[in-house]
Amino acid sequence: MIELITTHLSIDAANAPTLRSVSLILRSGELIALLGPNGAGKTTLLRTALGLLQPTSGTSTIGGKDVMTLEPIERARRISYLPQIRPLAWPITVHDVVALGRYSHGASIGRLGVEDQAAVTRAIDACDLTRLSSRRTDTLSGGELARVHCARAIAAEAPLLIADEPVASLDPRHQHRVMTFIRNYVDAGGGALVVLHDIPLASKFADRLVWMKDGAVVADGAPHDTLTPERMKEIYGVLARISTDERGMNVTIDGPA
Amino acid sequence: MNARLLMTTLTAAVLVALFAACFLGSTPLPVMRVLTALSGGGQPGDVIVVWEIRLPRALAAFIVGGALGASGAALQGLLRNPLAEPGVLGVSACAALGATFALYYGFAGSWAYAMPIAAILGALGATALIAFAAIRTQSVVTLILVGVGLSSFAGAAMALLMNLAPNPFTLSDMVNWMLGSVANRSFNDIAIAAPFLLTGLVLLFITRRGLTALTLGEEAASGLGLNLRRMRILVVLGAGLATGAAVSIAGAIGFVGIIAPHIIRPFVGFDPARSLLPSALLGGFILVVADIGVRLMPTSSELKLGVVAALVGAPAFVWIAMQRRAVHD
Repeated sequence: MIELITTHLSIDAANAPTLRSVSLILRSGELIALLGPNGAGKTTLLRTALGLLQPTSGTSTIGGKDVMTLEPIERARRISYLPQIRPLAWPITVHDVVALGRYSHGASIGRLGVEDQAAVTRAIDACDLTRLSSRRTDTLSGGELARVHCARAIAAEAPLLIADEPVASLDPRHQHRVMTFIRNYVDAGGGALVVLHDIPLASKFADRLVWMKDGAVVADGAPHDTLTPERMKEIYGVLARISTDERGMNVTIDGPA
Repeated sequence: MNARLLMTTLTAAVLVALFAACFLGSTPLPVMRVLTALSGGGQPGDVIVVWEIRLPRALAAFIVGGALGASGAALQGLLRNPLAEPGVLGVSACAALGATFALYYGFAGSWAYAMPIAAILGALGATALIAFAAIRTQSVVTLILVGVGLSSFAGAAMALLMNLAPNPFTLSDMVNWMLGSVANRSFNDIAIAAPFLLTGLVLLFITRRGLTALTLGEEAASGLGLNLRRMRILVVLGAGLATGAAVSIAGAIGFVGIIAPHIIRPFVGFDPARSLLPSALLGGFILVVADIGVRLMPTSSELKLGVVAALVGAPAFVWIAMQRRAVHD
């Protein structure tokens, strides 16, 4: 079992929102939703945790190794990363994008090993893309494209996954589908840290909610314990009502506080 | 078309073009006489025409086109932009400036390696600047403009050196480098540039998996496990060496590096890695054929290869740029 552990991670850079002593643990079998308003430092936290940004102080380790000393390819084998902005430079096919997920295993998309091809096929199946496999990515809709990126991240079959707003700009049906893929990945033994803006969706799928504001973690716990009207006011500055029934939690936002 | 068929077709086309370059020309040689001369027999005159004049010239055109095609494909992969190319980005112009510099100060005459090294230094400087600009700005337009700036600067500096040229011979040498030509190249010229050129191509080939990864953007590519810093350094070095060496053979020849990868991409599923080698072969083929055209054209003084390449290439560049606008923005 591999864990991602950040310890008092702080960053104070001109080109990124600050982080203030963020400590967080991501374990296998756990889906964490990272919540917070725009500019709270969620993406900065992910990038620093991955070692793509140099922290001012604090450390981040994956499987006990400091990310700043870990070779990029070693890190990629332990943790898969789905960034928020996903520009595709060339109109390569769906299959080839997903095959890029095998990069850390040494595969190139023109020449996949048996194991790589099997992993790619599994990921394509899991994200329901079999029918689109040979299509060029520039012919896909936004929802289809989001599933392709998701499949690419899953194809690495890394023990951990970090996804930055994987369901942004998707319709409700596709939001649920993508979150279901991530849930299945976690239920199969993975660990996922996912940035979300949809609170009901987060409370439905996540085991833990981590609430961020101004670069610091304000609360960290199960949806039932941390999702309250007071927290919604504190984090997002909105008046909200929260109701719970046998199907889960629901949030109604009445307006700015 | 699968990869093997594409490579076979291109290799065959290159061989046919190289052979054609040996029997076409101001005095056409029949196929049989070329074959005899190639094997070293036949009339002494034929052997000289084939081995000393036509074959080295055709090979020079092939090598230069190959280096430019591969550099173009690699730079396009690194910068994720189909308009990136040694000529457009000012890399060729800076290499030509380096070569002109070596000519002006007479280094080229005293030491055979001065010319390729000067051209390579010019190319490396330009490539490094472009890569640095690419890190700072994500804008494709800015990058092309930096290239335009570099080209203009190199052009102005060359004009200055020509202005100050000590004698008409140096001046005409310089004009040759600016316009680009493979006329009168010998196997010796090729042998001097070859080590640099091959090293550059090998470096570019090493980066091919990273070029594919960059399709997803730099953020996702580093997430995949790509070492971005190392990647940038290798492509800059590779493209600088290959382009610099090419320019030291033939001067500045533009647009080959943009057209060859553009034609190849649809055949290789738009994968930058798989377009590298075919782009080199196609780039070489294009220049060999263009050079045959230059030699056959009944003009009073022979046209320069670089001029012909630009006359065909510049409109193609504009066309590709306009297509891109329609699709992506």
